[in-house]
Amino acid sequence: MMSTKGMKKESMKLVEEPRIGVFVCDCGSNIAGHLDCADVAEYAKTLPHVVYVKENLYTCSESGIVEIKNAITQENLNRVLVASCSPRTHHPLFSSSCAEAGLNPYLFEMVNIRDQCSWVHMGKREDATQKAKHLVKMGVAKAAGLEPREEIESSLIRKIMVVGGGIAGLSAAQALSDMDLDVILVEKTDHFGGLLQSLGTLETGETAEDFLGRVVADVQRRSNVTAYTGAQVKSTGGYIGNYEVTIDTPEGEVTDKVGAMVVATGAVPLIPEGIFGYGNKGVVSLMELEQHLKNDTLEKAGFSGQRMVFIQCAGTRNAKREYCSRICCMTAVKNAMTVKKKYPLADVRVLYRDMQMYGAQKEQMLWDARGMGIRFDVYDPENPPNVEAGKVSYFRTVTGDDVSLETDLTVLSTPLTARQGTGELANMLRVPTDQNGFFLEAHAKLRPLDFAADGIFVAGAGRYPATATESRTQGIGVASRVAAILFKDKLVKSAIVAGIDPASCVGCLSCLPMCPYEAITYNKDARVCQINEILCKGCGNCAATCPSHSALLAGFKPEQLLAQIGAA
Amino acid sequence: MLDVGRHPNIELMAYSELKGLEGDAGNFTAKVLKKARYVDADKCTGCGACVEVCPTPVSDLYNEGHADRKAVYSWFAQGIPSTHAIDTDHCRVFQGKRCGICAKKCEADAINFDQTEETVELNVGAVVVATGYDVFDPGKIPEYRYKTLDNVITAMEFERFLSASGPTEGHLYRPSDRKLKAEKADLEKTLAKSAKALARFEKKHGMTSKNFLVALTTNTLELTDDLAKDAEKWAAKAKDHKSKDDRLTALAQKADAVTTAKKIAFIQCVGSRDLRFYPFCSGYCCMHAIKEAIIAHEHDNDTESSIFGMDIRAVGKGFEEYKIRGGNASQITYKRSRVAEIVRGENENPVLIYEDTAQQKIVKEPFDLVVLSTACAPVKGTQDIADTLGVDLDKFGFFKTDAANPLDTTRDGIFVCGCAHSPMDIPESVAQASSAAARAVQAIMKSKKAS
Amino acid sequence: MTDNILVLGGGIAGIQSSLDLAEMGFKVHLVEKLPSIGGKMAQLDKTFPTNDCAI
Ligand SMILES: Cc1cc2nc3c(=O)[nH]c(=O)nc-3n(C[C@H](O)[C@H](O)[C@H](O)COP(=O)(O)OP(=O)(O)OC[C@H]3O[C@@H](n4cnc5c(N)ncnc54)[C@H](O)[C@@H]3O)c2cc1C
Ligand SMILES: Cc1cc2nc3c(=O)[nH]c(=O)nc-3n(C[C@H](O)[C@H](O)[C@H](O)COP(=O)(O)OP(=O)(O)OC[C@H]3O[C@@H](n4cnc5c(N)ncnc54)[C@H](O)[C@@H]3O)c2cc1C
Ligand code: SF4
Ligand code: SF4
Repeated sequence: MMSTKGMKKESMKLVEEPRIGVFVCDCGSNIAGHLDCADVAEYAKTLPHVVYVKENLYTCSESGIVEIKNAITQENLNRVLVASCSPRTHHPLFSSSCAEAGLNPYLFEMVNIRDQCSWVHMGKREDATQKAKHLVKMGVAKAAGLEPREEIESSLIRKIMVVGGGIAGLSAAQALSDMDLDVILVEKTDHFGGLLQSLGTLETGETAEDFLGRVVADVQRRSNVTAYTGAQVKSTGGYIGNYEVTIDTPEGEVTDKVGAMVVATGAVPLIPEGIFGYGNKGVVSLMELEQHLKNDTLEKAGFSGQRMVFIQCAGTRNAKREYCSRICCMTAVKNAMTVKKKYPLADVRVLYRDMQMYGAQKEQMLWDARGMGIRFDVYDPENPPNVEAGKVSYFRTVTGDDVSLETDLTVLSTPLTARQGTGELANMLRVPTDQNGFFLEAHAKLRPLDFAADGIFVAGAGRYPATATESRTQGIGVASRVAAILFKDKLVKSAIVAGIDPASCVGCLSCLPMCPYEAITYNKDARVCQINEILCKGCGNCAATCPSHSALLAGFKPEQLLAQIGAA
Repeated sequence: MLDVGRHPNIELMAYSELKGLEGDAGNFTAKVLKKARYVDADKCTGCGACVEVCPTPVSDLYNEGHADRKAVYSWFAQGIPSTHAIDTDHCRVFQGKRCGICAKKCEADAINFDQTEETVELNVGAVVVATGYDVFDPGKIPEYRYKTLDNVITAMEFERFLSASGPTEGHLYRPSDRKLKAEKADLEKTLAKSAKALARFEKKHGMTSKNFLVALTTNTLELTDDLAKDAEKWAAKAKDHKSKDDRLTALAQKADAVTTAKKIAFIQCVGSRDLRFYPFCSGYCCMHAIKEAIIAHEHDNDTESSIFGMDIRAVGKGFEEYKIRGGNASQITYKRSRVAEIVRGENENPVLIYEDTAQQKIVKEPFDLVVLSTACAPVKGTQDIADTLGVDLDKFGFFKTDAANPLDTTRDGIFVCGCAHSPMDIPESVAQASSAAARAVQAIMKSKKAS
Repeated sequence: MTDNILVLGGGIAGIQSSLDLAEMGFKVHLVEKLPSIGGKMAQLDKTFPTNDCAI
C-alpha cells in the first residue's frame, strides 16, 4: 500500500552544509522495550552535522509525522534520518512526508533498529543499544552525502493485454472494458471459458454453460475488447505503461502496445495416474464424474445407482504436493448431491481428511448434503483407503474399525495444479512462480492481485485454486489495480536508478547479463552500455559488476557507501 | 493505514454514521452524522498530554477490556486519525462533576466541551459497504463457562495478550493470575494505609501494635485514660491489619509461583457450524488459532498447544504448509474433536471434556489457558444499515449478493466487500475490496454515459 | 453527476477499497463508526499467512 502523492517536483534545495535531523522511534515497546532509545537519541546529538534529535513513541503516527515536518521547516533541516523499523514498509511514508514539507525525498535516510537491534538482540539491552548507536552513526554519515533527485516520469498506454480466457480473464476483460480501457484478450485454445466449459451444473444451480454463455457473449459484443482464440503471446518487451507485445493469432502475428498485462491462465485438475486404482474400471477422477453428469453418461461409466465413494485429497496434501486445493471438497459435495438427487436410494459417501467447506454458502451445502443422507467419513492419510476392483476398504478413524464396501464407482477428488507452460510464460513476463508452480503474487496477504513487477497482475486459478466466483471476483478486482495506474496522466517512478557514465564506459558488457530486469542495452554506435530508467529497479547489480566504475546507483554511490562503512 | 489519512482524494470521516441515502446509482445523497468528539480535529496533534492527566479510567475495548484507557482517549496508539475523543459516558465533566483538567493541559487548546454533532450531506455516485463483522459472544454457550472461568478467553483477547503493545506486553500471564497480582497490589496499598494508622497509635502509646494485642488478649494491659479511649479502635484496626497481612502473605506465595501459560487449548467453531447460533463456517478461525499457537510458542518456547476442531480448514495459498510447519516447529497438536464442556479445575485451570476420536474415549484434560475461536457474526446494526441503504441481507445476516455478480448488493450502485459480504480472511477481503472498488467506478462511469 | 464515492467501514476491506478508488482518481468519503480506522485487523498482533504486522 504505497503511495506516490506529494512527490511532485520538489524545489531542489541547494546542497549546502548538511543539517541533519534524527528521529528515534520507540515503536511503543517494540523497540524501546529492548534497547535504550533515549540513550541512542542523546548519542545522535553528538554526531557530525546533526542539528536536531527527537525520540518519538511512534514516529510513523500522525503526530510523529507532524514533528518531522515541523522540524524540517523550523530547524531548516536538509537531511532527515529515521531510526525505526523496516524501510521496506515505512520508507515511502517517511520520504513522502519529507517531500510534503518541502524537502527533496531523496535526502531522507532510514536505519532499521527494530529488526536489526531489538529483535535480533532481544534480552541483551546493552548490546542492542550499542548496535543501534552504530547504525545511527552510519546512517548519519550516509545521509550527509545524499543528493537530491527528481522523480522519473513516463507516458502510459491505456490498453491492457489479458492472457487467458477463462472466467477470470473474461471477467477482467469485462471490468476493464466497462472502465473505458481497451483490452486485448488472448486465449490459447479455440474457445473461451477455460475449465468451466467442461463443467455441468455449478453449485449455484445454474449450468456452467448458461453462466459462461452470458459472459462470453457479453465480452464478444464489446467494441473495445479485441478477443483472440487459438492465440498465444509470442514475446513481450518494454515496461509498465509501455509494453510491446507480439501475439501469434490464426490470422497471423499481431504486434501492439499495452500499458499493463493481466495473467489469468488458470489451472488443470490432476489426472490421478497411479493412485487409488485409477485406470481400472469403476474409478474416475472428479472432473470425469463432472463430465459424466453433464453428458448423462454416468451409467456408461459403470454406476448402477448402488454406491458411489468419493476419496478426497487424491494426489495432494502429501509430502510431494503439500497444498490444499481449496475447491475439490466443495466440488465433490456438489456432485455428490447431484448424484443423490438423481439416485435417492444410492449410498453416497465421501472419505475425507478435512472438509474444506469454508465460509457461509459452502458450509450450508455440507449441512444440506448430510441432510440428504450423504455420509462423510474421516480417513487417516497415514493409512489411506485401498481401492480394488469394485471395492473400497478403509480404516474409519472415528469408530476405530475397518470398513470394506462394494462400490460401483469410486471418484478421486484431485487438486487443481499449475498448467503446463506456466514456467515459460512466467519467464517471458519475468514474473515468479511459487513452489507449486502457480504464479507468485507480490504479497500473499496485502497484494494478492499484483505481481512484484509493476504493471503486471494476476487473477484466478493460475495464482492458486479458486472457485469460479472467486476467480470472477479477482478478475474484476484486477481492473481496479490496473486503473490505479492507467487512469493517471503519467507514470511517476522512483529516481533510485542506476546510470552509466558514457565517458568512462568501455563497453565491456559485463553488466548486461547481471541485470535481472533486462534494463541494460548496448549502444553499438556509441559503444557503451545504457540503462532504461523505467525498467531499472535500482538493485545495484550493474554497479557492483562494472570494472570501470561507470555504472553508479543513485543514492548508493561509492562515496556515499564508503562514508557509511567508514562510520561503522 | 496512514496512507488513507494522507491521501488527498480521501476524506476520512471517523466517529461518524450513515443516517440516510436517497437517490439512484450515479447520484445518491448520503446523510452522514459526525458525532462530537469534544476535541477539535484541526487543533489536536494527537500528543496525548490530555490522556496523561485525565483521572478517569475506563475499560479499554480495543484491549478487549483487559486494560484501562482514560475518558479522553485515542482508540489505539497509532490510530488514524490521531485526533482524540472524549467518552461522554465516563468523562467527569459530562457526569456533572468538576474536572476539565485535560482542557487545561492541552497546549493546542483542542478540547471543546461545547462541540456539537453535525450532519453533512454528501453527493456520491456509488457506495461500498465494508462494515465488517463482530466477534461472537461466547457467553451464549453455557457449557464453555466464558466469564465464569477466568482462564477461558476469546481468540481476540488472546491477540491482545500476544501483542507487545497489549495489556501484558506480550507475556502470556493468565487472567486469573493477573487478577491475583492486582489483588495483591491493592492489598499492599490498603496495608500501607492501615500501617500508617497503626503507627499513629503506636507512637502515641509507645507500644507496638503486636505487643498491644498480646497484652489485650492476655489481660495484662495497663489501661491509662488515654489508652482506654483508643483501645477498642486500635484493637479492631490491628486485628484487621493482621488478617489482611496474613492474606497478603498467602497471596504473595501464590503470586510467586505464577508462571506464564504453558499448556494452551484452542477450541474451534465456537458459535460457528452450530445450528444454535451460526450454521456457517467463519473461514478464518482455524488459521488464526494456528497463528496464535505459533506466536505463543515464539514468545515462550515451553508452550504447547492443542487445537480442537472438527476439521482444520487451511484452504488459502500457503495455509496448509503454514499448518504443517506450525505443527512441527511450534508444538501444536491438532485434535479432531468438538469439546463438550469446560469445567473448573485446580489452580484455576480450565478442564476440557471431550471425545478423543482417535482413541474413541472420553477425556478430561486440564489446560493453563483456553482460547475460544469465536464466530464471525454479522456486525451489530447490520439490519439498520441495510434499511438505511435499502438493500437486502442474506439468510445468514450478511449483505446479499449473487454468485454471478459477487460484489453487487440488491440495489444498483451499492457494493459490498470483506466480512460484511461473508466471513473471510484478510487476503480474500483485500481482493474483494479491489473488486468492489472496480464495480463502484463502473457504476459511476455507466451513469455518466447514460446522462 | 459526481465522481465521489462513499465507503462505509474503515477495516482492511474499506481501507483497500478507498485506496484503490483514490488512486483511480475518485474522491472518497470514508465513514467509520469508531474514532479510528483499522477495524479488527488493527487489534491483531500479527497476521497469517505472512506473520508480519500488517497495518
Ligand atoms: C471438477 C471441477 C468442478 C468444478 N466445479 C465448480 C463449481 O461448481 N463452481 C465453481 O465455482 N467452481 C468450480 N470449479 C472451479 C472452476 O472450474 C475454476 O474456478 C475456474 O474455472 C477458474 O477459472 P480461471 O479463469 O481462473 O481458469 P481456467 O478456467 O483454467 O481458464 C484459464 C484459461 O486460460 C487459457 N490459457 C492458459 N494458458 C494460456 C496461455 N499461455 N496463453 C493463452 N491462454 C492460456 C486456458 O486455455 C483457459 O481457457 C470446478 C473445477 C473442477 C476441476
Ligand atoms: C482473533 C482473530 C484473529 C484473526 N487473525 C487473522 C489473520 O492473522 N490473518 C487474516 O487474514 N485474518 C485474520 N482474521 C480475520 C480478519 O479479522 C478479517 O478477515 C478482516 O478483519 C476483515 O476485514 P473487514 O474490513 O471486512 O472488517 P472489520 O475489520 O470488521 O472492519 C469493519 C469496519 O467497519 C466499521 N463499521 C462497522 N459498522 C459500521 C457502520 N455502521 N458505519 C461505519 N463503520 C462501521 C467497524 O468499526 C470497522 O472499523 C482474524 C480474526 C479474528 C477474530
Ligand atoms: S479441498 Fe478438500 S479434497 Fe481438495 S485438497 Fe483440500 S481438503 Fe483435499
Ligand atoms: S474456520 Fe475452522 S474454526 Fe472457524 S468455523 Fe470454520 S471450521 Fe470452524
